[in-house]
Amino acid sequence: MQPHEDAVQTPSPVQSPPLAASSIMRSLSGSQKPRPGASSILFSPTTDPLSQSELSLPIRTSSTSRRPQSASLFRSTILNNTPPGSPRDASPASTVRSTRSPARTMTGSIFAGTAGFKASLLDTGAADSPGDPLNLVLKSFVPHVAIHASEDVDDLVNAKGFEKGLWELLRPFGERVMGKVNVRDSNGVSRAWEDFSLRFTKFGDHSNLQIPDALAGLNGSEKQSGRAKESLTTDVEKVVERHLSFAEEAFRGTMEPQTPTRMGLDVEATSPYYALYLRRLLSGMPLAPHESFAHPVACVMAISSRNPNPIEALHRLYTETREGEKRYPVWVDGEYLRYYILVHDEENSDISKSMALFEQMKRNFGLHCHLLRLRSSESAETDDDSIPLPRSDWMTAAEELADIEESETKEDFEDPTRHIFESDATAIRTFVREMATQSLIPTMERNISVWNDQVASKRKGISGRFMSLSKRWAFGGSSRSSGIASSSSNYDASGYYRPDSPEAIMRRLADFAFMLRDWKLAMSTYDLLRTDFQNDKAWKYHAAANEMAAFALLIMPQNMSSKTRIETINQMLDNAFYSYLTRCNSLYGATRCIVLALELLRLRGGSGIDEAVRWGIKVLESRLMGKIGDALLKERMAICYASKSGAGSQAWGSRRRKSALWSVLGAEAWVAQEKYIQAQKCLNEARKMYSLLPGENGIQRFEVASDFLAMLNDQVKQGLQVDLLGPEESLVDVEEETFDHDDRRTRRTSMINPLGGATAAGMETAPLQSQGDVSGPIKDGFG
Amino acid sequence: MSYYFAILSPLDTPLFEHEFGTSKSGGDGHPRFTDQARHLNQFILHSSLDIVEELQWTQPGLYLKVIDKFFQNYISAFVTASNVKFLLLHQPTTSVPAANGEANTAQAAASSRVNSTSVGANPTSPQTEEAIKNFMGEVYENYVKAVMSPFYKAPNMEIRSPVFRQRVAAAGRKYL
Repeated sequence: MQPHEDAVQTPSPVQSPPLAASSIMRSLSGSQKPRPGASSILFSPTTDPLSQSELSLPIRTSSTSRRPQSASLFRSTILNNTPPGSPRDASPASTVRSTRSPARTMTGSIFAGTAGFKASLLDTGAADSPGDPLNLVLKSFVPHVAIHASEDVDDLVNAKGFEKGLWELLRPFGERVMGKVNVRDSNGVSRAWEDFSLRFTKFGDHSNLQIPDALAGLNGSEKQSGRAKESLTTDVEKVVERHLSFAEEAFRGTMEPQTPTRMGLDVEATSPYYALYLRRLLSGMPLAPHESFAHPVACVMAISSRNPNPIEALHRLYTETREGEKRYPVWVDGEYLRYYILVHDEENSDISKSMALFEQMKRNFGLHCHLLRLRSSESAETDDDSIPLPRSDWMTAAEELADIEESETKEDFEDPTRHIFESDATAIRTFVREMATQSLIPTMERNISVWNDQVASKRKGISGRFMSLSKRWAFGGSSRSSGIASSSSNYDASGYYRPDSPEAIMRRLADFAFMLRDWKLAMSTYDLLRTDFQNDKAWKYHAAANEMAAFALLIMPQNMSSKTRIETINQMLDNAFYSYLTRCNSLYGATRCIVLALELLRLRGGSGIDEAVRWGIKVLESRLMGKIGDALLKERMAICYASKSGAGSQAWGSRRRKSALWSVLGAEAWVAQEKYIQAQKCLNEARKMYSLLPGENGIQRFEVASDFLAMLNDQVKQGLQVDLLGPEESLVDVEEETFDHDDRRTRRTSMINPLGGATAAGMETAPLQSQGDVSGPIKDGFG
Repeated sequence: MSYYFAILSPLDTPLFEHEFGTSKSGGDGHPRFTDQARHLNQFILHSSLDIVEELQWTQPGLYLKVIDKFFQNYISAFVTASNVKFLLLHQPTTSVPAANGEANTAQAAASSRVNSTSVGANPTSPQTEEAIKNFMGEVYENYVKAVMSPFYKAPNMEIRSPVFRQRVAAAGRKYL
């Protein structure tokens, strides 16, 4: 990384013309690569980058010598002070971004109507902001596409600098399919989505495989599956821990009291660490029998123009997907879409030959073919038309952990950012879009309608209900006595449904509908499955169906009163939680289920917020997460409560005190882990919430509590080694205490406004000082 | 079973605080809060005001029953004239003191199920609600009398009367 060159070449990001993608990428990369010690650049982009970086050079060399390279590993969290859109904009696949202002769906308490549940959550705008949990949910339950490339393709891509082959090159482009994507739901109504995405996986990579317990026992690989179960959440925890420590270390040297990770009490912004936690949690979705999200919807088979017998190679690749040790386990349906691509080497091969070959491919394999034209040489950062390829947002926790560990142990660790030619990027973008809109989505739509007609409607109809009833009662005695493997049940003795059984097909139908955002169909299908799985005692299936039914119900618009609806959802979540945790001992499932439900409930507003926190407490009580997760969750609860807005000038029905309480708990948890930046952020939030209270006293009249706060504050202060408040400040506090309370009441109106203004403008630059000034007479127990 | 009782002014300042333990089923009347729980109790009670302020408009009576739960802590509320609130935090765990408010273990749940007949062990049972209602009623009467004192300036002055404290303690012994 060459900071000087960057700085010289880079115009201000604002000035770069919006259409020139390469210059955007460049300016982003210029301003994004965090240089520890040079943090002021990151957070005050208006200052002259050149002189700043020179100033901070000694700090960098002294404190964190090896860091510049590895800093890019932590880009996702360290850049949180940039506007919400920009970090993710670095994805080459994202060329358009709608800037809808975040709207709020509020509130279902007695102080407001119950309008919160009428609309779909997708219409609220939260779905658009990257890092927002709803957006994460949408982006995580997406079609998976396996990539299976021949050796010659991998050689070609290796030459471009991608060691893991074509998959590594394509992966970031799946994160956003260019342009609008039209999807028709089961009623034939078409809707365009701008943010459709795909997940590319490597064919034959079964690292996230989750074998049903019975099978695992048979294969003697019990140990492995047990390890996988447990390591997923711990890996996530470790990754976030690394990010946090990196931030602590990087900013310790800078003696500025305004900590960079501060984001105020903006309820719309998600803490970058929390977003990271969720993303890593969701990106490691296991390839398990009980849900088909990680099952491939399609498999891309790639050969290159260098291949001497291309058609044979494709046949060989095809056979490998059907048999051989790399193929998917038996519970994965083998009838997924096959997509064939010919990678044309622009520099060494003859395009007319490739075109001829491509025509031949089309004749042999049908329409699901694409000719991808790539240059075979490696692009350097200094090339005119090179753009940096960002690391994938959806890498798994284990992958990221491996990267970070490598950067720590290796002396000559290189910046892992790769560059590709812009023409390549355009070609890949076109390919992804074409595959998605012309092959993938039509296939999924067709599958949905076929399965819906042939399987689900039978089950939904009168006879289907009768069948399931008779199955339950007529053979009830036998199935109870012989356990799972009764003849009336499709549930296999080894713990899964065969892919051609109606239950497995319906589950796939529901998952496809969920991926294509047809919430209604998904919801009704999951609902049917819930009872089926329960009757078969397929508990993991049962848990997953309940989980997804609750999600679909939370996202879709409905006219049910919010109370009945919350009761229904609670019941589903209860079932899911209990089945996951107690019956199946699946920590991952339980955590994912509750954390996502918590977020969706929060977005529903009103009483949903109280429910969300109730579930959060349940997670904390059952100790599903580690220390980091707990602290992040506490922080999140504060934001949950803060997003409940009250009515009227007194804000009746708001949860400011609750929010402050959780902030304090969060701060306590962070201090215990010596993460002072986070702790300070929480304390600031608590202090701000307390100062917003009508009573203006905050917690400070409660002696023990305010002593505790002061102690926390001291610890944080020591941890950060900065003076937060001058001595005069505390003197003023003492004086003010003797004032009569009636005075305060009248003064309050004049106090509120400046405070609000300060949060908008002054906070960003000097949160503590400015707040101290403005809210001088306000007691919050920090004195 | 430990209780933390506080009277809060409309401006969220505590006017009166009292900690005590149960006197029923062989309790000695001393609170069993840990040092950690002490500050947490105050935070929890204070945060429950949010719920009180919402519920006081929907409930007909002055006694609002158990309005809030924070891990193993239950909060009962009683609103009075001039918007002064009585809040009672009760912790049904006798054997396991809730450290940091989250020491909810299966043990604690089990123990509360075992002696669920005794007052207070099951915070949402009708008997407990009734006992707390009586307690609140008696405290309210005493509060009104204390406030009548010519030296007391309602509603935002701290209640320092030792007689009042004695009477609250007596009511606690009698009912809880």
